[in-house]
Amino acid sequence: MKNRIAITAALMLAVALPPVALGADLTDIGYLDQARIGTLPQFVAANRQLGQAKAQLDKQFATAMRGAHSQEDQQRVVSDFQQRFLQKQRALLAPLLERARAAVASVTSSKNLSVVVDKRIVIYGGQDITQEVIDLLQSPAPIVPPVNTPAPSEIGFVDQNQLNQIPKLKSANDDFDKWQAQLQQSTQAQMAKAKNDDERRQILKTYQQTVSDREKSELQPLVDQTKSVIGDVARKHNLILVVDSGDLVYGGSDITQDVQNALK
Amino acid sequence: MRSSSALCAAGIAVALLSSATACARAPRADDATVRGIGYVRLEEVVKKHPLYGQLAQIDSDIDALSLSTLPVAIPRSGAEFAQQTKELNDELRAAQERANGIIAQKQSDYQRREQEAINAAITAAGEKPPSAPAAGMQTTASAQAAAVATQANQDFRSYQEAVIAQDREATAGVTSKLEDRANRQFAQKANELQQSESAQALELASHDSAQRLALRTKLSNLALDDAARNDVKGQLAAIDRKELDEMTVVRNRDRATLNAFQSQLRAQTSAEIAKEVGAIHAQTQAKLQQRSSEVSSQVASQIRGLGTGSSAGLSPATQAKIQQIDAQYKAQFKTDVGKTIADYNETKKALDARFAALNGAATGAQGAAGRQLDQLHKERSDLYNQIVAQVQRETQSVAAARGLKVVFIDVVAPAGGIDLTNDVAKDVESLHE
Repeated sequence: MKNRIAITAALMLAVALPPVALGADLTDIGYLDQARIGTLPQFVAANRQLGQAKAQLDKQFATAMRGAHSQEDQQRVVSDFQQRFLQKQRALLAPLLERARAAVASVTSSKNLSVVVDKRIVIYGGQDITQEVIDLLQSPAPIVPPVNTPAPSEIGFVDQNQLNQIPKLKSANDDFDKWQAQLQQSTQAQMAKAKNDDERRQILKTYQQTVSDREKSELQPLVDQTKSVIGDVARKHNLILVVDSGDLVYGGSDITQDVQNALK
Repeated sequence: MRSSSALCAAGIAVALLSSATACARAPRADDATVRGIGYVRLEEVVKKHPLYGQLAQIDSDIDALSLSTLPVAIPRSGAEFAQQTKELNDELRAAQERANGIIAQKQSDYQRREQEAINAAITAAGEKPPSAPAAGMQTTASAQAAAVATQANQDFRSYQEAVIAQDREATAGVTSKLEDRANRQFAQKANELQQSESAQALELASHDSAQRLALRTKLSNLALDDAARNDVKGQLAAIDRKELDEMTVVRNRDRATLNAFQSQLRAQTSAEIAKEVGAIHAQTQAKLQQRSSEVSSQVASQIRGLGTGSSAGLSPATQAKIQQIDAQYKAQFKTDVGKTIADYNETKKALDARFAALNGAATGAQGAAGRQLDQLHKERSDLYNQIVAQVQRETQSVAAARGLKVVFIDVVAPAGGIDLTNDVAKDVESLHE
């Protein structure tokens, strides 16, 4: 089983909703409040530095994009700056994430958990390991990760970003985005010409209905098909639920590749 | 009576049968495909919440505002910003040099004309103008006087630049402080209105709760025919519509209140900014005029010290006449220079506005729309979290009753587990009651 921790720089954006374990028996599913981990001083400082670096890169990016006249040049610039940002992110956050990874693994092992997910997606039950992880992170001693991997879990995960790169999904999403951008532009022009609020309301209603209809006809069938395939693959792996990789903190079964193969 | 009892008995039998079938089909918490895990399709439940109408309205407002706002101007790069700042600084420096050149030229003209008037006065009095050696000395003194004037002008320009930099900094500080205050006031008002709308929506739902409950009870009567069932459903829908209409009126009123408040804030803030910035500019102008006047007096005094326009050996009457001429030319010079400084200040004012626009100090429609959009996003997020917290509370009792150990939301795909969506949605819907 592939151990996995996904504590990212975007930790602080997660919604804080306290799950309550009233009446629930202990389970081997744990959850971590990644948003709270993100507020620890060491993460705040690193994120601040990353924000400053990003602001600088943004300025350089805007200048570089103005000098890039062909589409190839623009793609090269985008890729170059993404790479530079990732390098900076790695340099600043990698040591912190490494330590957090070890802390989560250690607590998971000591509590015999099979999987740890982000607190945001658990609204009842589960074991909150946030405080134990914080205590370990704040202690000066080095954290030794456990040698054993967690027990097989009934929770699987997929990387939806990776799935969205499958040609038929990517093409459908890109076409929809392009169409919506054009519709937005023409609707903006209509709004600017509208004489009163009633006219504006009507334009808005038509816009929303058109987008909703197109979503239902073009995207929803693909979304349904993908969900159905994920469900089928999950059943084959004897899983109960599949969550997004972004919500998975530790453990769990990665079925992304199998889903990709099934969708091709 | 008999047929009614029979119907009732049949109804109970059907109810028991369907209940038994439902029990047989419903998965249990300890099933192999459940293992104590449940899930809720959050977005479905959110749609059943009494405050969902309000959430949808905010979404609609966000769409409307996004579509009404003109595309954002392409942001300037660091280099472009620096280049435009440099161009503006160059224009300001050119305006300063132009003004200073004119002042220096006027100073020289007035000195020459004053000297000519003094010489004419001495000749008219039948007295002797300065002798040849004295005239030679005067040529040297004139050269020294020109050097003094040049140095004084350079010093004045440095002072001018420093004062203008202070002026610009103070203007930006005041503008930013007043705009921040206005933004805080707007956010506070929007928050108050949003909280009041939430309270009214819940109050409205609870006001109709008895009627709604009675209609739901009727609907649960299996003996209802299709027409009667549709009628009851229609009545329920009418209550929903009535609540939605009433809330739309409230929201439109609040939106209008907020728009009026924003206009008032904008007008008030602009007036305060204009007042404070006006005071800063007036101070700057006063400082520059004072320094200009001081420099002129200083130059005149130094030039007198160098011996130009020496009145030694002249009669008291001629000396008095010379003093009168001197005072007259100084007064004329001051008035004339005042006009040049006023012209310069006009140019500077126009350049200041361009500096302000470059630094984003000007409150344009784009900025206001952006702030309103941010506010709407915040309102939406607060309301959504309020709804989700309620959903969470309802889920706890449902999950505990079903013997589940853990319940998830935002699941990508279920392969087992118990779907609590309908049960939680019913409980959330009953918040109307």
